[in-house]
Amino acid sequence: MLDIAQAAVEAARRAGADAADARVGTDETESLTVRNQVMEGIDRSTSTGIGVRVLKNGRWGFAATSRVEDDAEVARTAELAVEIARAAARLPGDPVRLTPVEPATDSWRSPFAEDPFTVPLEEKVALLMEATHKMQAAGATFAEGMLDLFRRSTWFASSDGAAIEQVVTLSGGGIQATAVGEDDMQRRSWPDAFRGHVRAAGYEHIRTIGLVEEAARVGREAVELLSAPECPSEVTTLILDANQMQLQIHESVGHPTELDRVLGMEESYAGSSWLKPGDRGKVRYGSPLVSIIADATLAGGLGTFAYDDEGVPAQSIPLVVDGMFENFQTSRETAHVVGQSSNGTMRADGWSHLPLIRMTNVSIEPRDGSLAEIIADTPAGIFMSANTSWSIDDHRINFQFGCEAAWRVRDGKLAELYKNPNYTGITPEFWGSCDAVAGREDWTVFGTPNCGKGQPGQVARVGHGASPARFQGVQVGVRG
Amino acid sequence: MPGIIGRDRFREVADAALELPGADDVEVLFLHEWGGLTRFANSEIHQSTSREDTALRVRVAIGGRVGVAQANDFSPAGAVVAARSAKEMADVVAPDPLWAGLAGPASFADVDRFDEDTAQISPGQRADSVGGLIAQVPEGYRAAGAYETQAMEVGVATSTGQTCWGPMTQASITTVVTGDEQASGFAERFAGTAGELDAVAIGATAAGKAVDSRSPRALDPGTYAVVLEPNAVATLVGFLAFIGFGGRDYIEGRSCFSGRAGEKVADETVSIWDDASGDGMLGLTFDFEGEPRSRVDLIRDGVFVDTVYDRRTAKQAGRTDGSTGHGLPSPNPQGPFPLHLFMGAGDASLGDMVAATERGLLVTRFHYANVVNPMESSITGMTRDGTFLIENGEIAGPVRNFRFTQSILGALSAVSMIGRDSELASEFFFSASRVPALKIESFNFSGASDH
Repeated sequence: MLDIAQAAVEAARRAGADAADARVGTDETESLTVRNQVMEGIDRSTSTGIGVRVLKNGRWGFAATSRVEDDAEVARTAELAVEIARAAARLPGDPVRLTPVEPATDSWRSPFAEDPFTVPLEEKVALLMEATHKMQAAGATFAEGMLDLFRRSTWFASSDGAAIEQVVTLSGGGIQATAVGEDDMQRRSWPDAFRGHVRAAGYEHIRTIGLVEEAARVGREAVELLSAPECPSEVTTLILDANQMQLQIHESVGHPTELDRVLGMEESYAGSSWLKPGDRGKVRYGSPLVSIIADATLAGGLGTFAYDDEGVPAQSIPLVVDGMFENFQTSRETAHVVGQSSNGTMRADGWSHLPLIRMTNVSIEPRDGSLAEIIADTPAGIFMSANTSWSIDDHRINFQFGCEAAWRVRDGKLAELYKNPNYTGITPEFWGSCDAVAGREDWTVFGTPNCGKGQPGQVARVGHGASPARFQGVQVGVRG
Repeated sequence: MPGIIGRDRFREVADAALELPGADDVEVLFLHEWGGLTRFANSEIHQSTSREDTALRVRVAIGGRVGVAQANDFSPAGAVVAARSAKEMADVVAPDPLWAGLAGPASFADVDRFDEDTAQISPGQRADSVGGLIAQVPEGYRAAGAYETQAMEVGVATSTGQTCWGPMTQASITTVVTGDEQASGFAERFAGTAGELDAVAIGATAAGKAVDSRSPRALDPGTYAVVLEPNAVATLVGFLAFIGFGGRDYIEGRSCFSGRAGEKVADETVSIWDDASGDGMLGLTFDFEGEPRSRVDLIRDGVFVDTVYDRRTAKQAGRTDGSTGHGLPSPNPQGPFPLHLFMGAGDASLGDMVAATERGLLVTRFHYANVVNPMESSITGMTRDGTFLIENGEIAGPVRNFRFTQSILGALSAVSMIGRDSELASEFFFSASRVPALKIESFNFSGASDH
């Protein structure tokens, strides 16, 4: 496959490209959904193709085709990419400037112990059948169990001489119990909402996440929520579970620190950012307890790789250090704006898309203590767990998140259960109110496999290491 | 430039899968997409792309046991590989008690939704149009957006005798014009052909709105009367479909309409329906299971009528008339979904609605909405790219963006005026729907942003 990518680069050069790179890719998936012990969905997919990116007259062009085995079609696709770049250059504008990168020749595979695609289907089906049976037995109206397995193989070549082969394998699974009552519906999930906990790992990950072991509790809690009161509307101390912290980090730190958003390149779709290019080292993002890092080398992270889709090596970048904003996530095209080289965050949604700046593994650094100790240290407040809903404005300032369940914290203990909890805030004020972040023992690497960005729309798989944390003066219980 | 593969070649490839030994029933869904997108920001073209892909999605059933496999190798050999993989999965699972079999022979509406000029538009033509749009932007302002043209052919063949095939095109231009003093204006247009898009007019609309939105003032959140432009209405309609109009959620008690058939759920002037064959709609007239897409009245004169169904959900509901033709590609545990929504137009102009508002807000669009409580049809989201205060029947000036948290059915129950023109308008997460502007007497804004 690498030879096809190299041939495409050569074809692009022959067509007049000033610079070119090409990615041949194959995505393989296997997905299972069991509901109430009925197989509702079992499917596999494979997709192979090539995407060619060129620079001509200072403008990008990108073209992709699935007909990767057809030499003439690959050459035509490369020529089309050049035509697209030439068309873009009809309009005035500053030419793209790329920061340099040392071309690499390398091969890398994400590690796993047990290939998830070779585990017998019967075993996977049996696991989900047992988990859904236990949730049903605990009273869930609808009990779902899900497995999602993914492998992406990429062969990258560039006119600089890079030749890189990478294979990433991901495994994810989860359970969800839904209880339906009179004009009400409540859900609990484990170990994460929205089809579970995905990691860069093999099937060994599935064996550790307790889909059967936690099923009865999850089913019970969904039923309990039906009779729980609504989360009150008040301004209070808020403790977020690690599974909600991951999305709080994703939306209110991960996206606003992407330099393409800051520079207006995403303005028309998902929006821009409240940060400005000159804000590095000058803007307080959060309290001194808040340190956040983008680490593309994190073990198990969905944003872990050896090289990004521009051939830039994976890096670990501090975004926020002790509450101060320090770095953006950058690309070869954007890094010069802040006087740096690319920190390697360009990734595409497979062979058919142009790479964009995508958060890698954006994680909060663990501090001290445990969730139990944070709760014990809280006289009054609300504890929320597991995301149900997210919304944030186009500058990533005003956000509102919903969770599956909340508990009153009274005198250092969890008290009554609440349903339909949510909270809202303003990004720097919220992070500025953070006065506790749990330590390594409660820090978990989560995966967000459905991060949307770009036009045409792309989906990225990104990671977040997160600990439970506490925030002061937060509005909870927003009602319509 | 890629082009139509055609019904005959699709059927030839599909036959290789349909003949799979050992299967009771086989269905082949064929998707072939090609198109380009010219994206611009800071008034420059910065990302321009083209792509072509095919997919063969094969569903195999053996005694009610079902497996699905997809590959993008469009060839008889690729079809056989996918069919065998699907059978391998069907072999290991238990029978689905709701298995409703595959679509049999049925005709569907013959609507021509393919435009060769749109399918073959060049990157240069798109770039020139973008140039015309950007030329409308005043000095000191910047345009961002995308001009996309797409072509697609879809085929469904079943071993039970159905063969559907059809091509379609669509084109869209979306732009946000921004400037200093927090100026921001939005405009978009969706159509079946590129020839229907007027890039210059779209640029002028967004630029005018941006100029008018300079220096927005902060206003307290609270309950306001609102005039919603069509794009904002599309958010309400799209989310109502997501949380309410799917047959599976409905019959399982998980929809805000569950148990409410025949009940008044909105103002009597409000009607919403799904109709793939309707005038001014995009798309094909058969669904991804090969069923004809029927018109379904969802809310008629403010009264909830019904939801949409696919084959499996129709069986679950015990419907004697079967699927309404709203199946998505299998497997689809979420159930059916309406992709061709209309809201009935009224007789007011946007100016009439503003003139009839003593104090309220004009909202151009919503941003990044999401569900708060599906059973209450409540969602939250932000306003964006042109929010204005209305006082004494006139636009009094721009205001900073609000967060809303609002029941959709509550809003539709407070509709007092409906626009006479409807537009195809997109929603951030869902497909476009054809909707008019609305005046709503009470709408809850629960927070505010800084811009």
